Amino acid sequence: MITDIDIAIIGAGPAGCNAALIAAEYNLSVVMLDEQASPGGQVWREKSRAILNAPRTPESVAGGLIRNAISQSNVSHLGGVRVWHIERSEDAFVIHYENAGVSCFLNCRSLVIATGAREYVQPIPGWTLPGVLGMAAATSIFKQDLIPIGSKMVVSGTGPLVFFVAAEQQRLGGKISAVVTSNTFLDWMKALPAMLFRPRLLFRGLRWIIALYVNRIPVYWGHTVTRVEGKSSVSRVEFKKIRKDWTPQGEPKFIDCDCVSMGSGLIPAFEPFQLVGISLEHNSDLGGWVPKQELDGRTNVDGCFICGDGAGIRGSLAAETHGKLAGLSAVAFLGAKISHPIEKLRREHAKATSFGEAMSKLSIPRPGLTKLTTAQTVVCRCEGVTRAEIEEEISLGAQSTISVKSGVRAGMGLCGGKFCQTAITDLIAKAKSCPVNEIVPPTARPPLRPVSVNTLAGDFNYSDLPISKPAPL
Amino acid sequence: MGCASALQMAEGGMKPIVLDQGDIGQGASGVNAGTLSLQIKRVKLMPYAIRGHQEWESMGDDVGFKKTGGYTLAFTDHEAELLHERMSLKAEAGAPIEFVSNSVLREAEPNLADRVVAASYCAEDGYANSSLTGQFYRARLKQQGVQYRENFKLLSVEACNDGYVIRSANTAVKAKKLLFSAGAWLKSLSALMGVELPVRARINTVSITERLPMLTRSVIGHATGLLTLKQKANGTLLIGGGWQGHGTPEQGRGQIDTDSLRSNLALARHVLPAIKDARILRSWTGFEANVPDFYPLAGKLPGYEDVFVLGCVRGGYTIGPYIGKLMGDYILERTTELPLFDPGRDFPEAVT
Amino acid sequence: MFQLAPNHEDDIVRTAKVNFTFDGKSLLAHEGESLAAALMRAKQLHISDAPADGAPRGLFCCMGLCQECVVQVDGKTIESCRLQVSQGLHVSSLRR
Repeated sequence: MITDIDIAIIGAGPAGCNAALIAAEYNLSVVMLDEQASPGGQVWREKSRAILNAPRTPESVAGGLIRNAISQSNVSHLGGVRVWHIERSEDAFVIHYENAGVSCFLNCRSLVIATGAREYVQPIPGWTLPGVLGMAAATSIFKQDLIPIGSKMVVSGTGPLVFFVAAEQQRLGGKISAVVTSNTFLDWMKALPAMLFRPRLLFRGLRWIIALYVNRIPVYWGHTVTRVEGKSSVSRVEFKKIRKDWTPQGEPKFIDCDCVSMGSGLIPAFEPFQLVGISLEHNSDLGGWVPKQELDGRTNVDGCFICGDGAGIRGSLAAETHGKLAGLSAVAFLGAKISHPIEKLRREHAKATSFGEAMSKLSIPRPGLTKLTTAQTVVCRCEGVTRAEIEEEISLGAQSTISVKSGVRAGMGLCGGKFCQTAITDLIAKAKSCPVNEIVPPTARPPLRPVSVNTLAGDFNYSDLPISKPAPL
Repeated sequence: MGCASALQMAEGGMKPIVLDQGDIGQGASGVNAGTLSLQIKRVKLMPYAIRGHQEWESMGDDVGFKKTGGYTLAFTDHEAELLHERMSLKAEAGAPIEFVSNSVLREAEPNLADRVVAASYCAEDGYANSSLTGQFYRARLKQQGVQYRENFKLLSVEACNDGYVIRSANTAVKAKKLLFSAGAWLKSLSALMGVELPVRARINTVSITERLPMLTRSVIGHATGLLTLKQKANGTLLIGGGWQGHGTPEQGRGQIDTDSLRSNLALARHVLPAIKDARILRSWTGFEANVPDFYPLAGKLPGYEDVFVLGCVRGGYTIGPYIGKLMGDYILERTTELPLFDPGRDFPEAVT
Repeated sequence: MFQLAPNHEDDIVRTAKVNFTFDGKSLLAHEGESLAAALMRAKQLHISDAPADGAPRGLFCCMGLCQECVVQVDGKTIESCRLQVSQGLHVSSLRR
């Protein structure tokens, strides 16, 4: 049990690390918790210990710098722990986490939630086959284990990740059968002005794309994978051209492959916010359900601050500045005098945000996206619930995510609805002909991750059972 | 309870409308552990409970009803004494409860901890899938042509010339009579009518595991009442026992208390050691309303002739569908098969 | 020399290989790499079966959320994307 921490930060990605580092400059106790053993989050994920040496990448360099900074600072880094619940008491927060099979908790006077985002993958026929994984998912393996995925990969999706995955797959010795992207050349041209702000990234991206053409790898702009086929794993994909609103049209085309990396953007991991009492609102520009927020990471919960992609998908550069601002908000909340130039940081954050938002724009769902989910497509992966079953439940009167969940178990499985709630929300909104922001996600319930009975129960003495008054007879 | 009453009233020729502040069945019936056990019912309520079980049985597959039989276990001499005393009285009240030997228990439930000192068994016990409550009643209401509104956040109730007007933010409903069946929210609801009902809410915790190989086939209880354990056909295990969380009905949903949860799960593990590595997927709380004498409120709201109250049943999940019917009959001015419980009665001093 | 799309496969230095088993099948992996990567390398794409309908599943989110890459080690269920391979690791899948 750790008590009386000044600032606890959940998440050690670019946002969390920056919040921690800046707060640590103020002679306050700062603890940063994260699921991974080393700081870096998803975007700067550390290589596994199996990698003794490897060529540097911009991500590994940035990650190395931040890991170094953390280790040199006064930040207490609690790595490899899983936060499973967050409670609010009168003037403190209690964070419950699992550390090596034991449930621990810490009290802190202020809290910064920097838990980031997860991938949104539109359900399509065959998306549950072994060999289908997300795009951010693929990059996690690339960064951590430096191996290619499968031997012939098709990448399908939106935004810059499509080209990053394709490039990394090749760089690590794998093959790309084709790149399929919903975005058109025009979509990217619209993003160009914002990209000029980051010329290195622009150049890097152009290299990836030109290399694809030079290596004669087919690139299908304005297309999307519509079906994945295979018996016990992927053997080929069907893909189609899409209209401006992303509705698939025309004749199906096919590509043989043994894995598919697909994704339609990122969405904030909003469960921690729900647990602590931060209200959610819907904003398609920022990835769907996002926490209600004020300037500098402040929220409706006193002493609780948010930053990074969890607060809305704005990218890693914006996450860094957001982290600094949220860290300073926590510091100010505790009564210390701020010596950092807040206005300057806000300006940097605004610039970084407009870049990030231009990138996110490429992934904002368009009406045709949901058409990819056929009636027989499994929407809730964990419980195997199809679109048809969900729509039937809605037609029988289920009007909310809670009642759909209760009726057909969609969202009740192992992942806790993390990969299906977005699609379910869309289906309900469509059926009710109402805007999606009127359909709220289900009530958040701990644990945030599955935790074993042993971990939660700890040591137990039967004689410790309270001998309460027996129930009335 | 409200839905069961409405269905009975409709069957008797009335035109009820059901209003719920959220989704139907999500206030309590949809969020409890689903236990249907005569062994945990009050002696005087046993006739109601037995009929409640019959209601659930007739609802059948639509609510995932399973008559598995249930065991209540005692691990110490004190618990065994408690068990014998209480179960004997419940058996006398009509519940088919018998005491079983260790070898019978072990044969039926080989995975239970082997330190059991005494055990009772009731063949009528089982469970239903509480999550299906809402779906079930919505379908029945539709089938019977009974109107209902979900997400109806009631703001005010006003008397008008031939009844009452109930308002939410953007609609109003007129009715000649009112039935308040809002469970833990009965206190604030009756306050709107100027009546103070001594309704309190317990905040009961339930947890569910991932799917596991079948470890138990019966509903398992504990002599102190502090544990209910059941494994559903899909392999998930539901753990309850009335461990208290935090929160009030006015705040919306309750929260779990981590110390409470720890004890609840530790007891479950003690009783069924094989679950030690099973992972908990979700823990949540549900409100259970009660009044100081722990008997139901079922009758006219004190001071009113055409406003009724139903709730705080003590075993509300089990008894709800049956007492709802009785309430419907009462409002239809028929004689009820079993007596109801006057909400205007004197209550003992509330002992927390 | 400027390479448009360099291949760094051969420039990566890894730890020595170790043995581990997956449902009794002996496989090799670099000490310390994630089990997910080791299974990918061994072309073992089918890692688990979906809890509800038993359909084959594998790696999906690679960040410990989707629960589709879960395996059992010493009776404990863990995501293979969060588990490192060490010499003699015995992994049981949850495939039926």
